[in-house]
Amino acid sequence: MKKDDIIWEINADKIKEQIKEGKRVDGRKMDEYREIKILKDFSKNAHGSAIARIGETEVIAGIKMDLAEPYPDTPDEGTISVGAELMPMASPIFEAGPPREDAIELARVVDRGIRESKALDFKQLCITPGEKVWIVFIDLYVANHTGNLFDTSAMAAMSALLNTRIPKIEDDKIVKGEFTGNLVLSRKPILSTFAKINGKVVLDPIIAEEKAMDARFSVATTEDGFLSAFQKGGQGHFTEQEITQCIDIAFAKGKELREKLR
Amino acid sequence: MERRVVVPGEVVTTERKKIGRHVFVEGGKIYADCLGLADVNGEYANVIPLQGKYMPRAGDLIVGIIVSEEYSGYVVDINSFYFSFLSKEKLRKPLKKGDIVSAKISYVDEINQAELENVRVFYGGEIVTISPVKIPRVIGKNGSMLNVLKQGTGSALMAGRNGRVWIKGGNIPLLKKALRKIEEEAHTSNLTNNIEQFLKEENAKRENSTQNVNSGGI
Amino acid sequence: MDETVYVNEKGERLDGRKVDELRPIKIVPSVLSRAEGSCYIEWGQNKAIAGVYGPREALPQHIQDPTKALVNFTYRMATFSVSDRKSPRPGRRDIEISKVCGEALANAIFLERFPNTTIDVYVQIFDSNAGTRITALTAASVALADAGIPMRDLVAGVSVGKAGGHIILDLNKEEEDAPDAVDMPIAILPRTKDIVLLQMDGLLKKEEWLKAFELAVKGCNQVYQKQVEALKAKYGMPAIEHETQKEEKAVPQKPIPQPKKPVEVKPAEGEEEKKERVEEIKREMEQQIKEISEKKKPKIEELKFNSGGDNQ
Repeated sequence: MKKDDIIWEINADKIKEQIKEGKRVDGRKMDEYREIKILKDFSKNAHGSAIARIGETEVIAGIKMDLAEPYPDTPDEGTISVGAELMPMASPIFEAGPPREDAIELARVVDRGIRESKALDFKQLCITPGEKVWIVFIDLYVANHTGNLFDTSAMAAMSALLNTRIPKIEDDKIVKGEFTGNLVLSRKPILSTFAKINGKVVLDPIIAEEKAMDARFSVATTEDGFLSAFQKGGQGHFTEQEITQCIDIAFAKGKELREKLR
Repeated sequence: MERRVVVPGEVVTTERKKIGRHVFVEGGKIYADCLGLADVNGEYANVIPLQGKYMPRAGDLIVGIIVSEEYSGYVVDINSFYFSFLSKEKLRKPLKKGDIVSAKISYVDEINQAELENVRVFYGGEIVTISPVKIPRVIGKNGSMLNVLKQGTGSALMAGRNGRVWIKGGNIPLLKKALRKIEEEAHTSNLTNNIEQFLKEENAKRENSTQNVNSGGI
Repeated sequence: MDETVYVNEKGERLDGRKVDELRPIKIVPSVLSRAEGSCYIEWGQNKAIAGVYGPREALPQHIQDPTKALVNFTYRMATFSVSDRKSPRPGRRDIEISKVCGEALANAIFLERFPNTTIDVYVQIFDSNAGTRITALTAASVALADAGIPMRDLVAGVSVGKAGGHIILDLNKEEEDAPDAVDMPIAILPRTKDIVLLQMDGLLKKEEWLKAFELAVKGCNQVYQKQVEALKAKYGMPAIEHETQKEEKAVPQKPIPQPKKPVEVKPAEGEEEKKERVEEIKREMEQQIKEISEKKKPKIEELKFNSGGDNQ
């Protein structure tokens, strides 16, 4: 048993009890985010990069654009590839090694939120149909984990994409240090994650709440009223009404968070 | 009475002093072995650490958590390198996983494993973990800080040397804030008075504002 | 044939530095709330975060050493930290650097006090331009001190080397790529000048080694000053932030690991701006030092260990 777990197990009971009265351990409202900070252009060698912080949770995202052959079924489309690493410094319980299922789920949810929103026109990423397309690598590094890695990672990824420069190509090769322009995003999907604890649903769970939660729900929303990804996690369940409420809140909060991306 | 911050390997004093804690001697000089406050006013040269893990010492009063039950006793997390073992023979009542206990460290072996005695069980309440090196400030001179905290929040609390503080009743959110404040400002002077003032102000604020509970939302 | 002049007649290098001049260094300890000790570092373009856990029980048990603690150093580069995207899997270089940096730190730590335990040090590089292992090691040493781990000294490192026939301090990528380049990362314990890390690539004469070492010691001492200032600044600075932030937040906020004014990425950066930035960082540092020295050193009357354990 890891040391952190035992403390959380004890706190979990407390959290469950308090939540019944509509109180959260850190005094936030049920639908309130922690403070959000974004810092762009963190890494010069990256084509785009950003640090996102929600509360003390911190995720560093970097973009590298690379050339690849297109998939046979979409010869005129480029693609994105999201990777996530839970760095061992981020928490006493992460260990170095191949990505575990948590990291894989995290990367895939962020991927879907961006991909399915059609924020990036994959046709724009085509260079020579059937031969050469851009592949946009979005790599996420979790530096400090105090809960809600999903939304923090999605914010970091979007913010990094929004300041990504497209490398110049000459003779089918990337010219280092020269760029032709910025990546264009037509939408800004925002991911909002909720935790269901003892029958109540809260936004932006901290790690203690994640330990106490029965289920988790993430939804990506766009500024023009679309939902671009859902992900339900945990062994508990949600009702239709709860999901609908989450969606309403996600749209409202999405607006606020999108402002931070500017 | 001045205390300066020293880093590992920095000279604490070149005077002849007795070797206290967190210092070492090389070439006749006394050096700090960790980040801390140099204390050279007495006959000993000491460094009071500003960070660090809990090193169990015989006689320390600690707050532990029962992690699991085994045939002849319980495994206790004391926030140190290893878990400690508590024999059932020493206990009157059975414990369960998650129970919070206080205990005195009776013996520490050469690999820093601790044996416990004088075990008492807490009922209810919760645990706040702070940096173990800052516990002396939570206690204060002759328990002065503890008194300030108890009076200012109406809570019961017990500070273990291992960085675990058991708290129950009263104004728990305020007590947590105060503990956090002590942890952050542990290296500053006049802390007890500052905390007393802080609690007064917070309490006054609470009385002024109408009951404003964050309920509802979703 | 290489026409590049690595040091011009004015004694200036390609980026305007003198032969014995370091790139700007910024060190901020305690940037991660979860880690027991941490440090953010900017060294020229290099950016890294170090996190420390431990000493904690070494697991699985068979790796335990009953006489001392193990140091487990993990150096990794982010995929986007280099000019071509790096594979996320650690390579042989990462593993070698991890080993030599771990050994360098082990020399400074009082390991024998923590039998059967491990001290885990993780450093991740997010941007790079030559000298990342030294950057990592310098940050790791501060993170260890920040974690309160007993050490006989900090570990300070620099790289020295040769480009265009000149012995120079703290090579950047351009200089490292010189045809006659010699790269020599060194780390020492500044107090005793004990060498705890030493590597070298290239061709070097004995006299050059002596000159390079002298330069390295000079550089290490400057790095050491930065490390000490950073660690002390954490406790010397008045806690202004807390007063305003505490009200609405239950969880205290630590500053984002970033200079107050973020270093802006500009594709074509003029020399003017670069100089300005150097000046700015210098000014900031001086201001910090001034504030520390002006502020009355903390008086702590009550902080005693004998104030009784029986507090119930």
